[in-house]
Amino acid sequence: MNRVLVVDDHAVLRRGIQSIVRAWPGWEIAGEANSGEEAVRLNSQLKPDIILMDISMPGMGGLEATKIICQQHHDAKILLLTLHDSIEWVRTAFQAGARGYLLKSDTEAELMRALETVVANKVYASPRLDSARVKSIVSDLGLSVSAEMLPSSGTT
Amino acid sequence: MRILIADDHDVVRAGLRQLLLERKGWEVCGEASTGRQAAAMAVELKPDVVVMDIAMPELNGLEAARQIRKSLPKTEIVVLTLHLSDQLAYEIINAGIRGYVLKSDANRDLVNAVEAVGMHRPFFTAKVSEMMMEGLRGERPRDGQSEARGRLTGRQREIVQLLAEGKTSKEVAVALNISVKTAETHRANIMRRLELHSVSELVRYAVKNQIIEV
Repeated sequence: MNRVLVVDDHAVLRRGIQSIVRAWPGWEIAGEANSGEEAVRLNSQLKPDIILMDISMPGMGGLEATKIICQQHHDAKILLLTLHDSIEWVRTAFQAGARGYLLKSDTEAELMRALETVVANKVYASPRLDSARVKSIVSDLGLSVSAEMLPSSGTT
Repeated sequence: MRILIADDHDVVRAGLRQLLLERKGWEVCGEASTGRQAAAMAVELKPDVVVMDIAMPELNGLEAARQIRKSLPKTEIVVLTLHLSDQLAYEIINAGIRGYVLKSDANRDLVNAVEAVGMHRPFFTAKVSEMMMEGLRGERPRDGQSEARGRLTGRQREIVQLLAEGKTSKEVAVALNISVKTAETHRANIMRRLELHSVSELVRYAVKNQIIEV
């Protein structure tokens, strides 16, 4: 069973993610946090298999929390969830240590595909992003990837 | 109580659905992912309440609310937003919307808001109520463009959103089921009325007036 820590400052969104994840075989919720600070603390305490985290939160945001968690736990698997579809945000996210970048506008099925990909130790980026530019960033950062880990076609 | 949910994000709709279905006797009769879909589904499903995000593609929540209130006066609307400004509070009230909840407070306030508007009673947070009182005292926010916006027709506001989203006149014509010539005439009238001279100015206007979000 894969255990996911859900981090978002909006309770209604955490509730939505939980309902989607719980309906998926092989997945369960390890816990939930409403800030980056709480995510850092709960990650050490709950030791989830993967963290699904919003970038924009009051106080410590998802990028800073990602950096801290990755310093503390080098094998941490973090999938960032965000409204930002700019390619520069993708670069910053992967540089911080995230291994997945999902847009809030992506579908429920895409959310689960992203979780499955990152928990399998692969890199993931939303299919709504420009795949060529994502691949270039991933390559620049020296991350190990294979074709199926990244969006097959860029749409934006 | 039959409720229609409209939000362009699957995860948010899933959360709203969960929250609303916890209340006995409430039913989510449909889900829409754009304002245009919400307006069409409302006419078809005739829900008691529509719970709707403001920032949606194709047709934003405010314009969809105006259309729904016009065709279904008994259907009440609760809107959700990420942020609130004086101008937006004024627009919400002006669109005939009786319920308003910040997305960050939805878990706490949404059920109460739907319950209130379901009985045709308003539900606004203290901050919005304060803005309403200021509006009644004649202190509502004004600037040249918001005044101009008030002079745009509903159809013109729809076209402003579509153009600001990057659609061509031809695409606008297809989306609204009108001729390309009519779409171009609307476009020229809008630009003249708002005293705008380029699409980039139109985008700035749409962002400033929260017709679209960036």
